[in-house]
Amino acid sequence: MEVAEVTNFLKQTIPFEQLGLAQLAELAAHFNVYYCQAGEHLEINQERLLIVRTGIFALFSDQQQLLTKLEEGDFYGYQLLLTGLADNDRLVCEEDGLVYWLPSDVFHQLRYQYKNIDIFFQRLFGRRLHQYKEQQSSRFTLKVADIVQARKVAISGEQDVQQAARLMSEKRVSSLLVEDDNRLIGILTDRDLRSRVLAAGLPPTTAIKEVMTPKPYTIEKHAYLFEAVQLMSRFNVHHLPVVDQGLSFSMITATDIIRSQQDHPVYLIGEIHRQSSLDGLEHCSLQINNLAQILGKQQVPAYEAGHIITTITDAFTQRLIKLAQQELGPAPCVFSWLSFGSQARMDQSINADQDNALLLEKEPVGDVADYFSQLADFVCQGLARCGIKLCPGNIMASNPELRMSLKGWSGKFSKWIAAPTPDAILKSTIFFDMRVVEGSKGLFNALQQDILARTNNSLFLMHMAQTALQRTAPLSFLRNFILEHDGKQKKGLDLKKRGISLITDIVRVYALANGVLEVNTRSRLQQLAVDGVLDSKDTQNLCDAFDVLAQLRWDKHLHDLDQGHDASNLLDPAVLSGLQRHQLKDSFAVINAAQSSLKHRFCKEV
Amino acid sequence: MLGWLKKKPPLYSAVQAFNQVSIPAANTPARDCHYLALDLELTGLHAKQDHIVSIGWVPIRNQQICLSEARHYLFRPPTSVGQSAIYHGVHDKDLKNASELADVLLQLLQDYAGYVFVAHHCRLDRAFLQIAYQRLFGKAPNMQFMDTLNIEWHRMQKQGTVMKKDALRLPQSLARHKLPVSAQHHALEDAYGCALLFLSQLKKSHPHITLGDLLVQSS
Repeated sequence: MEVAEVTNFLKQTIPFEQLGLAQLAELAAHFNVYYCQAGEHLEINQERLLIVRTGIFALFSDQQQLLTKLEEGDFYGYQLLLTGLADNDRLVCEEDGLVYWLPSDVFHQLRYQYKNIDIFFQRLFGRRLHQYKEQQSSRFTLKVADIVQARKVAISGEQDVQQAARLMSEKRVSSLLVEDDNRLIGILTDRDLRSRVLAAGLPPTTAIKEVMTPKPYTIEKHAYLFEAVQLMSRFNVHHLPVVDQGLSFSMITATDIIRSQQDHPVYLIGEIHRQSSLDGLEHCSLQINNLAQILGKQQVPAYEAGHIITTITDAFTQRLIKLAQQELGPAPCVFSWLSFGSQARMDQSINADQDNALLLEKEPVGDVADYFSQLADFVCQGLARCGIKLCPGNIMASNPELRMSLKGWSGKFSKWIAAPTPDAILKSTIFFDMRVVEGSKGLFNALQQDILARTNNSLFLMHMAQTALQRTAPLSFLRNFILEHDGKQKKGLDLKKRGISLITDIVRVYALANGVLEVNTRSRLQQLAVDGVLDSKDTQNLCDAFDVLAQLRWDKHLHDLDQGHDASNLLDPAVLSGLQRHQLKDSFAVINAAQSSLKHRFCKEV
Repeated sequence: MLGWLKKKPPLYSAVQAFNQVSIPAANTPARDCHYLALDLELTGLHAKQDHIVSIGWVPIRNQQICLSEARHYLFRPPTSVGQSAIYHGVHDKDLKNASELADVLLQLLQDYAGYVFVAHHCRLDRAFLQIAYQRLFGKAPNMQFMDTLNIEWHRMQKQGTVMKKDALRLPQSLARHKLPVSAQHHALEDAYGCALLFLSQLKKSHPHITLGDLLVQSS
């Protein structure tokens, strides 16, 4: 019988809000309610779902690191329930509260009955992997449906083997589904034709049903890929009919599974380096979106995906420079190919444009100038063909102003640093995130050290900080969300301008003030914490906020790709889940706090 | 023809069977005992002339409320619910699916022998139950009651808190314990609220408090 206090709570809790009142009451009837006191360690090694009703619970890793805090409407235990793998986590009550416990059989029944609830917990599990299990790859979350196409090639068992062979050649498949009245009765493979027909001397008129493999093992369309692998190895078969709601849907083969693993970025990068023509590179670049989607399905966290995408841009750049040199001959002097902005920070997404330049051993004149002009044009145009758009601000090596000697670059930077004007600073911030992609590392190091030796200049830092403070994160969430237009699309929250960039900008000021060599925002934060510039809690908060925002943007980009749109940074706040809204709100609060301490540290009245 | 008599044990013996199962000894840790939080809705305050409109209960075992055994029953009082309906939201039309009081009281005896009964301000509930059992079963069972109101009073006295008017009522007590407060004057909701309050009181007591000590606080 229903306790309204419990069902009313469930009614407002994702993902149960979609259930009807009768189902909620039935679900609630399986709960055990437990009161927990601050300081108490919860028993979490049993297979049951914990739902927080009130109070605050801190989750620690086995290394005593605080992973997250659970509050009203949060869950724990789904990992053990979904995978059977326990963590050595500890869940400690911080503020007295009530929890509900749901037994494992009811949890599984619920997932089985309601697809959306299953998806919710799978996603929560995925997200948990992002946040806390950095090293763990989630290849096992790939499903059969993610790699097989709806491509059903079927034949009737009454037809003969010659007709089967013809159909197989025509459809270019190595196996057929054999059906009788839309019911799967067997499969027929290349190998069956060879060993059971040709080798046995049977005529081409032999009926398929006489030589097929009857009653084959099948796999559900929504099963995990590893389950298919398991079935194949257990029964030593290479073909599994894929069924969807009792009907055959497609066939999955051992080759499909091997191929699915080849979408790993390592393969693409290897392939890029094997190309000997622009056409070949352009062809490789078509796989980037596909790769991005696979990274998404495998729940690769955003910063790792950013790293992978940047590595691919690097590979294209490096290969294009090689190809240019094959055409133009070896370089007349030592050079460094520089990248700026997101490529330098290794946090590119799929909509990044080019930001690059050339650092040369000597001032380019005459033939040397011509050579690098041609090389830069070749590479920049080549990158554009590979989908990495030309920079609208012309921050590209193809711009003659950005092909300079060490002395030239050093002069340019020292001008920005010594005599900062707000306008110059705004334009130059992108240059302060810099990395060498190809060519001489020594030359680049010389420039970087030269710059960092100058940047601890309070006037310059004040201007940098003021630039970083120009934009703020939305203060109050949802109510007066600052929505912006991007011209093409509808309005939304700009995750980059109102979030990610704000953190990048804050962290850059600290990095420059303290001579930090790192360029990646997360690495800069880590270094700043090690050097004692920022306290470890602030660092962790900024890093978490950065991850949350980057993750939302990455998810948004994947969604855009999936829908066939261009990747956009504008997010419609209405599509966020309760959990995401919560995280976003926290992230904005972290940014606001970090901005005020930045102001306090660098913008004091002189 | 008299087959129904054989199926059910005579009611009197049900009370005897209940009384034969004693509650845990006084020195048992209170956290290890089984409890049944219950609440009655009544047509009035006088046990001799008023009636039980509904009963709700939830058991507590291992300091956990087991919602699978949460129960709520409505009874048809001999007279119309009339004026008092406003207090418990039960209307005559709701009573179409009403249960037999004797069936429900029997279930209580059969399923919860050895349990300590918990109620908020248990005096009325106990009095009404005693009289109902006496009338219907010919004998009142020895039900040990625990009163969350008294425990709360004891707790606040010990803390030296100045108590405002109504501070000990169930909703106020739940709010003080930062527990969810649900609709009042519904027997099951109130029984559940009482169970939540009791869990919190149990946790806030000394970890090794015995059943006997807690009963002293509750009296």
